[in-house]
Order: sequence, then C-alpha cells, then structure tokens
Amino acid sequence: MARWLPAGLLVLLVLLALYPMHGTGYGIRTMLQLFMWIALAQSWNLISGLTGYVSFGHVAFFGMGAYTAGILIGTLGWPWLLACLAGGVMAMVLALVIGWPCLRLKGPYFAIAMLGLNEVLRVIVSYYEGLTGGGNGLSLPTLHASVPIYYAMGLVALSVTALTYVIVTSRFGLRLMTIREDEVAAEAMGIDTFRYKLYAFLLSAVGPGIVGGLAARDQGYIEPTSVFPLITTITMIVMALFGGKGTIWGPVLGAVLLFTFQELVWARFIYLHQLLFGAIIITVVLLMPRGILGVLQQKYNLPRTI
Amino acid sequence: MVDRVVKRFGGVTAVNKVSLSLEAGRIYGLIGPKGSGKTTLFNCITGVDQADEGQIRFKGQRIDGLKPHQIFHQGIGRTFQVIRVFPELTALENLLVVTTDDYAAARARAEDLLRFVKLERLANEYAGNLSYGQQKLVEFVRVLMTDPELVLLDEPAAGVNRTLLNELLDAVRTLRDRGKTVLLVEHDMKVVMGLCETVFVLDHGEKLTEGPPGVIQTDERVIEAYFGR
Repeated sequence: MARWLPAGLLVLLVLLALYPMHGTGYGIRTMLQLFMWIALAQSWNLISGLTGYVSFGHVAFFGMGAYTAGILIGTLGWPWLLACLAGGVMAMVLALVIGWPCLRLKGPYFAIAMLGLNEVLRVIVSYYEGLTGGGNGLSLPTLHASVPIYYAMGLVALSVTALTYVIVTSRFGLRLMTIREDEVAAEAMGIDTFRYKLYAFLLSAVGPGIVGGLAARDQGYIEPTSVFPLITTITMIVMALFGGKGTIWGPVLGAVLLFTFQELVWARFIYLHQLLFGAIIITVVLLMPRGILGVLQQKYNLPRTI
Repeated sequence: MVDRVVKRFGGVTAVNKVSLSLEAGRIYGLIGPKGSGKTTLFNCITGVDQADEGQIRFKGQRIDGLKPHQIFHQGIGRTFQVIRVFPELTALENLLVVTTDDYAAARARAEDLLRFVKLERLANEYAGNLSYGQQKLVEFVRVLMTDPELVLLDEPAAGVNRTLLNELLDAVRTLRDRGKTVLLVEHDMKVVMGLCETVFVLDHGEKLTEGPPGVIQTDERVIEAYFGR
C-alpha cells in the first residue's frame, strides 16, 4: 500500500489540475469548496489533532482572512491573490495575540476561550462599520475568477497537507504529540510545551486565513454572520474527527466523505441535514473516537504516514 | 542542595523546612510513610510545584523558580510514581523526542539505551502496548537520553517483576559508577537497603533523620513513624 500511494496521489493531482479545462462552472465551484474544507479540517488537525488542544473557534481565522482580503481588495484595490496571502498573515498575527495568553490554559478552558474569541470578533466586525461595512456586509468588485481560485484553493489544501506530512514525520511533530499524550511528562522531559503549542497554533491559523480570503473573493460578498459561523468550526472538527484526528490523511478523507455526502444527500433534505450531522458526531465520538483512519491504523498496525 | 524548602497546599504544609545535600556519584534514598511529602519534594526540585520558602541549588546555581523543561536541561531528570510514557508514540520515539541532538546521533543513543534495558526488540512497538514493567524501563531510559547529572526516581520498583527489577537496579548502579547521582523514593525496603548509600527519612513533611541504611533500619524514630508507638 505504501508503494502505490505516492503514484496514486500523483495521478489524482494531475487529474485535479486538468479538471477545470473540462469541468462545468458548477463542478469547479463545488470542487473549490471541497478544497476549502480539506484545508480547514487539516489546519484544525495541526493544533487540535496533534497537541490535543481543541480549538472551538477556528473559524475566527477564516473570518479574519476574509475581512482582511475583503478590505484590501474592496477599499484599497489590492490584487486578490496578494490580499488573500495578507489574510493568512493577519490570521497568524491574531493567533499570536490570542495564543500567547490562551495556550497557557489547559484542556477545556482553551476550547472555551477560542469559542469566545470568535463571538467577540463577530461583534467587533459588526461594530466598526466604517472599515467593515458592519452588519450590511462588504461587497467586492465583480470578478469571474473561479478557475484561478480553484487552483489557489487546491494549492492551499495541498500545502497544508504537505506541511502536516512534514510535521508528523519529524521530531517536531512527535513533540507536539507528547503534549497530547501527557503534557506534564513532556514538560518534565525538557520540552518547552508552550512554545511548541504556539508554533502549532500559528501554523494552524495561516491556512484558514488564506482560505477565508479566497472564499470572500469567490463569493464577492461577506458579512459577519457568513464568515464567523460556529457551524464552520464544528464542520471542520467533525471532518477531522470522522477521518481520523492526528493522522495525515484523516482530515482529507473526512472532508471528502462528508462533503460528498452533504452534496448528494443534504441538498435534498434541507432540514434533515442538521440532524444527520449531530448523529455523525455522536456516532464518531462514541463508537470510533479515532476516526476511520485511526481505526484502520490500529487494526492493521499501519505506520503513521498512512 | 535542597535548603529549608517549604511547600504548602492551602492549610496543609506538605514539606516543612526540609534540607537535603547530595554529593555526585552516590545513590540516595528518600523514604517515609505515605503522605510524608516525598513526591511533593520531588515536584519542588523538578519545578512541577514551586516551593513557598527555601532555596534549591544545583551545581551552585539556584534552580527554584525555573520551569520544569528548563530544570531538565540543567541536568536533572525524573521518572513518575504513576507511569507517564507517551502511549501512542513507540518506545523509540518516546526517547527520540527528548534530545535536541541531530537525528542520527539521537537515534543511535536511543537504540543503545533500549539495548541497555533489553528492550531493543520492542523499539517500534507503541509504548502503550508494553507491559507495566517495560513501560517503567522506557520511562527510566528516556530520562537518560540527555545524560543528566542527577536522576530522581519515584518508586522505580513498584509493580515491576523480579527479573525486570534486577535489570533496573543494575542500571542504576551503572549510572552511579559513571559518576551520576541518583535520588530515589521507594517503599520496597529491600531495594532501598540494598541500593542506597544514604537514606533520608521524611515524616509529616519534616526530615526525621538521615544516615546509612543500616543505622536507619534500627532507628527508633523511623520505626515509630512507620508503625506508631
């Protein structure tokens, strides 16, 4: 399996790269959203899957990126690609400001602090109307750029996954896992756990920041309730949990399966989808807390890279 | 080295003006009834708890107030009373995460250490899948990755079968022979008496006495502390 995995991935990447030449507009935008979810679930995995510090406010970085890019494009006329990268940088700055005090909190306190952060940001963005348009939202100049955004979004998803691979196969990644396994022991074994958590947190913020910018550009209109919804955080968490948190391919698998499921089924049963979502959360937490890939890894004694 | 250290938890004084002085290249025992403050003293030395009063010096420098990871890098390693290996890392990885040496050197050292306690066959097994005694050995050699000057062992013999225990005790003596200092908390008196050169006795957070094991064994006060009057 380990042998044909790289070859299979390469074929898949080539196919995805060629897809926009043949795909429909709807198809391209659907795929672009799938890439977005992969990037989000994978980014959440970097902090929460590896160190065990569950972030309940990761959409805050998405929103930060969206508004940074939105303002830079709409008000200052920056090129969208540059504005989205700036969104990633600003998300990291936010992660630094928030992580510095909050990563000293342990367990559930960190999760709750992150939940609060997102709510606070939404209120701030609604309040500063001059800059953000407040509750009226922010409209961006019309631009038909689905294909370039498709590639940009795909590249972010690929980069975050590659980054996860590099981290998980390094001693840096192992040290992040020691925090999840036993933080007291990690600290006693000379690991500066706060610094490691902060690095992981910064890395986990940049992807959502860029993706938030790209989503804003793609949709052409943002408002506080559309870029800071709690459901986005929950969705990325469920995707990562479903596929297997703390693994390299789990969040990708989770995003692909749940997103496909959503497109196929939920679109037809609007009211049922929230119910199904809850059912999936309960099933995963109760029956397979390790997720699909975690269970397979344990059962077949697979290496961490699969 | 440990100078009149006091640690209180609320109204309880867990450690009260305890002083210990350790010389390099010797094995020390720390004994006392349950709740006499042994582990709390360990936690103060390694920075897990902060002493309320007193000083802790290591190689002439004050280390009280430093964070646990900083104290570790000063050359003080420890194991825990309740095992704290990283269960979802392999035995080898448990050791690899400790040092900041380059990867090849760290790997060679980790493999050496696993061979030292005869666990080389289990190097790539998840630590959580090992037996209790084996996990204890992993925890023990994990401390040795950075070649610390002082090793604190919290109940190394508890729950370990005879064969593994003998390996562990041999390993501790080897350490001593290489000039390292060992301070261990232990309830198994055979282990303490057979291994330690000096024994400190704690009772109700205070140091009752100290001396060679033979003398401690017959000390009336020690017997009284354990069995009552």
